[in-house]
Amino acid sequence: MLVLARKINESIVIDGRIVVKIVRLDGDVVKLGISAPADVPVHRREVYEEIQRSNQQALINPHVVVPKLLRENVMPLAMPSSASDQKKPSSEPTLPAKIQSEDTNPRNNQ
Amino acid sequence: MRGQTTIYMPIGLLGFEHVKRYVLLSHPDEAPFLWLQMLDDPSLAFLCVSPLHVSPEYQPDISPADVESLQLTKPDDALIVSIVTLHPSGQPTVNLKGPVIINRHTLIGKQVVPSNAADYASQHPLPVAS
Repeated sequence: MLVLARKINESIVIDGRIVVKIVRLDGDVVKLGISAPADVPVHRREVYEEIQRSNQQALINPHVVVPKLLRENVMPLAMPSSASDQKKPSSEPTLPAKIQSEDTNPRNNQ
Repeated sequence: MRGQTTIYMPIGLLGFEHVKRYVLLSHPDEAPFLWLQMLDDPSLAFLCVSPLHVSPEYQPDISPADVESLQLTKPDDALIVSIVTLHPSGQPTVNLKGPVIINRHTLIGKQVVPSNAADYASQHPLPVAS
């Protein structure tokens, strides 16, 4: 692993096209701004790995018998016990008209 | 969508980035489930279901970058499906943390992590008949 020290507002460049900037230092939380092309997805690692694992477990041969969905006993959404960040649930519609969270890529004009 | 539709996923699914081409299959006997089958390997597929069948109040916050990359202009443009895991023993679950969004018009899809992903489980119990 390459380890580089950066101060706030300093950046690193990956593969000449991905820029990671230290946007804020807040106690033990480092806020990163990431600029990357659309074909380069960026995710929190633990979320990526959780979904990757879930996808791997889900892959099957489509000849299996499909279960019958029950619609009466719809389970309420359970809040996970350990959220990795402190965002509150949003009541915005599915397609937000504005930036939803401050974690989206900030521009370099701060 | 009914029957069989070819979907293109430019960056694939998380952990399956190299697989770009899928066929979305539906059969009336299996409704509301759909299959997302790998076009180049029909023996591999993901069972999917609309998350609204499981949780009517499900509201993933799709980031503006994802909305733009999928060229979505209104909510109707998007078909949202969640991947189901049939666990060998126990209740099937559905991934509400990483929904698959497909543009109905362009047939381009992406598995997105909504801004409020922390509010949802990747293995949310799916109520099925025993």
